[in-house]
Amino acid sequence: MTSRTRAGLALVLLYALASSAAWIRLAATAPARAGSDEISSYERRFLELRTALPPHGVVGYVGDPDPEGATPAQRNATSLLHFKRYLLAQYALAPVVLIESTEPELVVGNFDPGSRPSLPRGFQIERDFGNGLVLLRRRP
Amino acid sequence: MTPALTLSLLVSAAAGVTLLRCVWPDRAVAWSWPLGTALGTAFGLGVSSVLLYLWMLAFGPTRRFPLVESGLLIVVAIVGLARARWAARAAPPLGSDRAGHPRGYLMWAGGLALTAAVAAFLGLVRRQPHGEWDAWMNWDLRARMMFRGGESWSNAFSSLIPWSHPDYPLMVQSLVVRSWLYAGGETMTGPALVAATFTFGTVALLAAALFTLRSAGQAIVASLVLLSTPFFIVHGASFYGDVPVGLFFLVAFVCLALDGRHGTATRRFAVLAGLATGLAMWTKNEGVVFIPTVVAGILVSGWASGWPRVRRRLVGFGLGLLPMLLVAASFKLRLAPRNDLLATLGIERTLGWIADPRRYFLTLREFVTHVATFGNNGFGSATWLLLAYVLAMGIRRREDDRLWTNTAATVLALMLAGHYVVFVTMAYDLPRLLNSSLDRLLLQLWPSALLLLFMVVRTPEEAASRT
Repeated sequence: MTSRTRAGLALVLLYALASSAAWIRLAATAPARAGSDEISSYERRFLELRTALPPHGVVGYVGDPDPEGATPAQRNATSLLHFKRYLLAQYALAPVVLIESTEPELVVGNFDPGSRPSLPRGFQIERDFGNGLVLLRRRP
Repeated sequence: MTPALTLSLLVSAAAGVTLLRCVWPDRAVAWSWPLGTALGTAFGLGVSSVLLYLWMLAFGPTRRFPLVESGLLIVVAIVGLARARWAARAAPPLGSDRAGHPRGYLMWAGGLALTAAVAAFLGLVRRQPHGEWDAWMNWDLRARMMFRGGESWSNAFSSLIPWSHPDYPLMVQSLVVRSWLYAGGETMTGPALVAATFTFGTVALLAAALFTLRSAGQAIVASLVLLSTPFFIVHGASFYGDVPVGLFFLVAFVCLALDGRHGTATRRFAVLAGLATGLAMWTKNEGVVFIPTVVAGILVSGWASGWPRVRRRLVGFGLGLLPMLLVAASFKLRLAPRNDLLATLGIERTLGWIADPRRYFLTLREFVTHVATFGNNGFGSATWLLLAYVLAMGIRRREDDRLWTNTAATVLALMLAGHYVVFVTMAYDLPRLLNSSLDRLLLQLWPSALLLLFMVVRTPEEAASRT
């Protein structure tokens, strides 16, 4: 084997060594058990609400934070957070289809824990699940 | 749940391997267990996905599916075993250029890289059991909606939630649903197992193909590079569709390589390449772009091989593709709403984008930057590493691979060109989309690009014998 081909193989081995070291570091710092991540925690919050929803159909959604802010960057950040919470609610509450609207009869309210949200007009609280989570129903 | 999930994987892999064994052209080339197992597992995943889709169309996502699928496997296994016994007498030996044994240090390095990558994958899955954003807002959400939806499973494709891309093809989601049907309930181990199978199945196929077509040392070096590409493992554990579609691209390339070597004696590898291309289309919409590029690649190779052979390859390719075209068409016509990217296109706006030279420049600059820095792990980028490696080892292309290398290089170049055109003409927020998608698109082609490179570069065994 020439020194040139030896150098070629050595490069690949060094590249692999660098990645392997990073993989071992990553594995060593992983949590011991799954389920402590953000999505799993968020999902647990919706467990009880899910049983109160119909098995399928369309349900409305309102939630915090309002997509507003003093600067465009702040507006972007709050919009993204609002959207993420909506997506996570849909993920947790499948198979119902969750739409950002107060048109359906039932609406999920997903607010910051401890906040006193203003309810959409014409709706009353059907059930309060605590932690900022409510199910709203259109008043007859 | 874990034994049931393991069974789901075994049934799929065994069905794929035995099916492949049944159609393997024994008169042209002997069956190879490493390659047959890796290819068969990939085909098995595809067959399982399509079977479940057809089952759901007829009966919904019911618990009887695992029983029926396992029953089908038994039938296929009986036919496959009978055929294998017959073929054992008839098969001519496999012609490969394996020579010598890989050095011990390569074997150790391969073992270390695989162990470290598996540990990292498990760590990533523990850290993010639901995967990254697109996984839970798209792939796993759709799987949940189908699985939990029961008779109303088709609500999963509601146009009321366009942000979840309900038009995306069903490979990944249906395999997740399938894992839950086997397990008897939802578990996040299901999507993790599907993702791990695609990720490490890609490594296995790359290694098996190069082991069979080049040498053991070549297989180890290529696997080392793939296992050490940071984005490959990280993205594999994110449960997106890019690694899965990359596997089916690689399957198509491997089948075309086999067709390049044995295509004069059999058309079956061209048929399998068509099937793999169809499965890529069933995995991600990028698979649709893959079809014309493979056809173009085969046509380009016609200058060297002559038109009768090209016609033969194209007919075989079309025969394999046809069933998947029908399956995909039934999904697009019956269930999927219109693609959001296409739905938001307007002629005036698109013409404006086409006429804007800044978009061409920006896209080109990002392509060059992302390609040059792809696979950077702190030591250096994989692109520069491989460039240096090729310069050090030298090129040695087999004459009977000339047809395939022309095809493969054309397909890869056209795929990149296709993505470039899509970015320039269709992307609404071009900088953001380039930033969020380009590396994923490159990752889809990465295993196939590695196959092409290591098919033409001199093997470690050849380098050792040169002195």
